[in-house]
Amino acid sequence: MTSQMIKGFEVRMDRLYDLVHHMWIDLLADERVRIGMDSLGVETSGTLAHLSAVGVGTVVSQGEPFGSLEAEKYVGPLVAPLSGTIVAVNDEVFSDPGRVESDPYESGWMIEMETTDLAAERGGLIEGEDVIATRFAQKVTEYRLEGVLAE
Amino acid sequence: MTGESTLRVIDFGRVSGLRSQTLWHAIAHGVSSGAPPTLSFMQPGDPYVSIGYHRSISELNPHNELPVYRRMVGGGPVYVDDGQYFFQIVVPLAMAPARRGDAIRALLEPAVEAFNDVGISASLDERNEVVLGDRKICGHAAGQISGSVVVVGNLITRFDHGAAASIVRAPSDVARDEFLAQMKRYVLATPADPGLFLEAAGRRYGEKLGLAPEPGTLTDEEQAQLNIFDTLFVDPEWVDASPARENGMWRAKVKSGVWVGSAASDGHRVTASFYDDEIKEVRVEGPDETFEEMDQLLAALAADPPI
Repeated sequence: MTSQMIKGFEVRMDRLYDLVHHMWIDLLADERVRIGMDSLGVETSGTLAHLSAVGVGTVVSQGEPFGSLEAEKYVGPLVAPLSGTIVAVNDEVFSDPGRVESDPYESGWMIEMETTDLAAERGGLIEGEDVIATRFAQKVTEYRLEGVLAE
Repeated sequence: MTGESTLRVIDFGRVSGLRSQTLWHAIAHGVSSGAPPTLSFMQPGDPYVSIGYHRSISELNPHNELPVYRRMVGGGPVYVDDGQYFFQIVVPLAMAPARRGDAIRALLEPAVEAFNDVGISASLDERNEVVLGDRKICGHAAGQISGSVVVVGNLITRFDHGAAASIVRAPSDVARDEFLAQMKRYVLATPADPGLFLEAAGRRYGEKLGLAPEPGTLTDEEQAQLNIFDTLFVDPEWVDASPARENGMWRAKVKSGVWVGSAASDGHRVTASFYDDEIKEVRVEGPDETFEEMDQLLAALAADPPI
């Protein structure tokens, strides 16, 4: 596990990221991936009240919702960073959303997916330590300038 | 016609209970497809129960006979009738702050100004509750629907506390009575003129968003989407799609930071009102005035407030 603090936020360097929707992707084996929310997503969501996900066996496309979250009476989508079939759902996190806040990169994982077009779609994701560090820092700076995050 | 710099304002007037939900869901799809940011208003013509997207109908009183509509925004089960005038502000995702709490705050502030414009000294508290003093005067909920952000609120000209308390499944009459008492204490109707409020809200939202308010109507695409939602929202599978979450303890939120909780053990039930970290109004049902596990149950309730 390689972890860094980037401008106050923990980032795992062994993951791929969709920084638009704040999801991380852990490549497990072959086409199988595990997916969760990154620390910036956790920060901007607020205290999570509810999470829901589509069931195992559901086919989802990159950029489409695989579930939803609710914080402060605000419901928003959980967006799939890759296309594929959901093969596992972390039931514990969906019954206790607080796990996403307390441990977003480990026990707070959300789903596992058997991807269908990983090679082509991973080009749109962020990967590699230097790129992750740079892009994550840019995102934090952008959010601070916009007032989304406190200094 | 509405252009790129306009805030479309649609006053639907008095509509059916169903339409008071489906209209603004259709607008959210329209705004996602390029219709202008929109402020809409309507008065539900008949009473119903609305439950939040993640909430289960198992939370409702099994004797409830009112229609139940599950909305695509958050929050808990609420009773709705024609004493509540609803407003919805719908903007493209890019116009709303990225942090959810900030988005709600930014999109409720003009409504608070509108309340003040019509003579109600409302404010937005630190929990994003629209209040008059310490009383909630406007329910709200929010969500991303397609590519739009929607914040819904209401001008409560008349509030039936008894009906509102009756729609919730309560574990005992004592728990329901306590919930009703806290609702009466903390939820207040503000009988302002709906027409004046509408006018003020249009102006205030226009100022906030830098857009000129213009009266408008639904697009053809929104009309088509409305028909889809009219069907979906009465589909029992949709209404009952969110699973029950039971952990043996009952909680009912009155407003942010104020709620009623109840739990039972060993032939006794304890019900209490919670004000942030404070426990008040403890009521015990059972053979004794107190019981061994009571403090433990109260602590467990206090540790897990409704969010």
